[in-house]
Amino acid sequence: MAVAIGNKSFRNVWSKAIPYLLILPVVVYYALFWVRPVLKTVFESFRDTAGQFTLQNYAMVFSDPDFIPAVRNTAIIVVFSVTLEFLAALFLAILINRKFVGSSFFLFVAMVPMALPAVAVGAMWLTGLTAHGWLNSLLFYLGVSKKIYWLAGSEWALLAIIIIIDAWQVIPSVMIILLAGLQNIPVEAEEAGYVFGGNFITVLRKITIPMLQSTIQTAVILRLISAIQIWLIMVLLMGFNRLPVLVERIVYYHEEVPGLDISFQMASGYTIIVSVIVSIAALLYLKVSGAFGGNQEARQ
Amino acid sequence: MIKKKPTSLAKIIKSTIFYLFVTTLGVGILLPAFFLVSLSFLSTREAYQFPLPLLPALSAKYSLTFGDRGYLLSVYDDFDDEYQTVLDTAELEKMSVYMRSQIGAPYDIPDIEDRIAELESGTDPVYFKARKNLLLNYDLFFKVTRDAVPALIRSLQIAGMTIVISLSIGGMAGYAFARYVFIGRDALKFSVLFVRMFPGVAIALPMVIILANMGFYDQPIGLSLVYSVGSIALTVWITASIFMGIPESLEEAAQVFGATKFQAFLKITFPLALPGLAAAAMYAFLGAWNETVSAIILTQFNPTFAVVVYQTLLGAVGHVNLAAAGGLAMAIPSVIFTFFIRRYINQMWGGVTV
Repeated sequence: MAVAIGNKSFRNVWSKAIPYLLILPVVVYYALFWVRPVLKTVFESFRDTAGQFTLQNYAMVFSDPDFIPAVRNTAIIVVFSVTLEFLAALFLAILINRKFVGSSFFLFVAMVPMALPAVAVGAMWLTGLTAHGWLNSLLFYLGVSKKIYWLAGSEWALLAIIIIIDAWQVIPSVMIILLAGLQNIPVEAEEAGYVFGGNFITVLRKITIPMLQSTIQTAVILRLISAIQIWLIMVLLMGFNRLPVLVERIVYYHEEVPGLDISFQMASGYTIIVSVIVSIAALLYLKVSGAFGGNQEARQ
Repeated sequence: MIKKKPTSLAKIIKSTIFYLFVTTLGVGILLPAFFLVSLSFLSTREAYQFPLPLLPALSAKYSLTFGDRGYLLSVYDDFDDEYQTVLDTAELEKMSVYMRSQIGAPYDIPDIEDRIAELESGTDPVYFKARKNLLLNYDLFFKVTRDAVPALIRSLQIAGMTIVISLSIGGMAGYAFARYVFIGRDALKFSVLFVRMFPGVAIALPMVIILANMGFYDQPIGLSLVYSVGSIALTVWITASIFMGIPESLEEAAQVFGATKFQAFLKITFPLALPGLAAAAMYAFLGAWNETVSAIILTQFNPTFAVVVYQTLLGAVGHVNLAAAGGLAMAIPSVIFTFFIRRYINQMWGGVTV
């Protein structure tokens, strides 16, 4: 009998341990390949070349002549592209919101731009925006015979081009996400709004958008996170330094001027700045998605 | 008599406008992609014309006559509707190379000699046609670009290792999330999501030294270790939702019939989860295949395919059509895999509920 009981309690402990054993590899992996590198960057950023504590590295980053432009350009891109993309995607999603023949094909087409690798998108627009590129050729066929020098404009024109390219890539996907959200809203909810005398705008404002809220929050914050990290398209279209942004600075210091004493410190400094900004956005996302207790069910 | 309900004119107009709208949108989305595809098939001569031809020509029409320095080769230009002189030479070798590499419509030297014989015998000018080699740019891209083929193989290796690491480690955790309640479950679940959103470049930079100490810097395994950080997180969320969708009672039933818990998982749950696991694997593939910035930082002499295309594009001033071919070679696997996982696409945005 005693053996059977011992066996049972062993089994009990074993089955209690199973979930911890199952998650152990993830915990170990993240300790080794996430926590360690992140802490390393943080420590390194406070040490000088002799290993002493210093704030010099940050002072250097903040006094980099491209620091302010990089922050400004990133901020402009984030604010304008996220706003523009969200509004356009919501508008399109509301217009399309119904089942139609070929809708699944259309949805696939809409996913393509977002699925493309950044270098393929770069190839697309690099071949499009040169003076002899396909965009000017297309305009020529449409009757505009004057060539436009897309990439020769002012900083503002370049920013606008980046925002438009980003919009082309992102709007279709955000539209799909919002469409999925719209289709989860029960028809009765909107119908009730009309029954009580609401017009299209009031129903949209008082019923549809509030019911879409969690979808909208997810889409906007995740877009925010990727917009902060935009860089490749600029480097491909304009080269380094022309339109500095935060992640472009990291690659610039790490790859283009690797010989300098300060390159690693500069790259690390910019990395920390990007990480802090993205982390704040990510925490914001976890908060609205109910990670910190409370409205756990809100997202479902 | 059954009367068919008449479709009102207003309805037809409305639906026509709707389809026009959707089609316009679709065309707008695909237009840049269309030009990239078209450009990747253009010959070098076509690619430097303005305006660019909308579609590549399938054959080239040549004309040959006597020139100052030998023979005068002309090519028919669709847009200007006339033959344009491209070469004046007596060297047949040079002429053949030009036809192969610039016009993309190869013509062998013996054949050129035949045409010259016709010319000498009195037909002036001689007209002839040659089929175009549409895949020339792809051929050249992989031949000319230093490292394109080994880089392609490396990228596939990296993607493969990332799939194995993230599916084994992430899949176990996903199963734990779906089937067990344990201390720290929520904390871990959201830490994983946080890791997923954390910028990859912030891990890549310190990893240069860590991987160098491990001897993995500039090695495919090093990059897949870095890529797995993000894709494990995604795999955990995807597999958790898959395993939740498979009722536990199925496993319990198998256990009633004498199977152990592990056997029950292997024989019942695992086969049912396969399609979802395949989708998770494709995500891991896409993440590794598409990534550029960590690959730039963590490779030196052994770049990935994405880095090779990136470098080609940076120096692409002279080779627009080659750059397009490289970009498209990069894009094709992504588009194919996206087609297969399109049902799961919302999950990429964290819209998974566990």
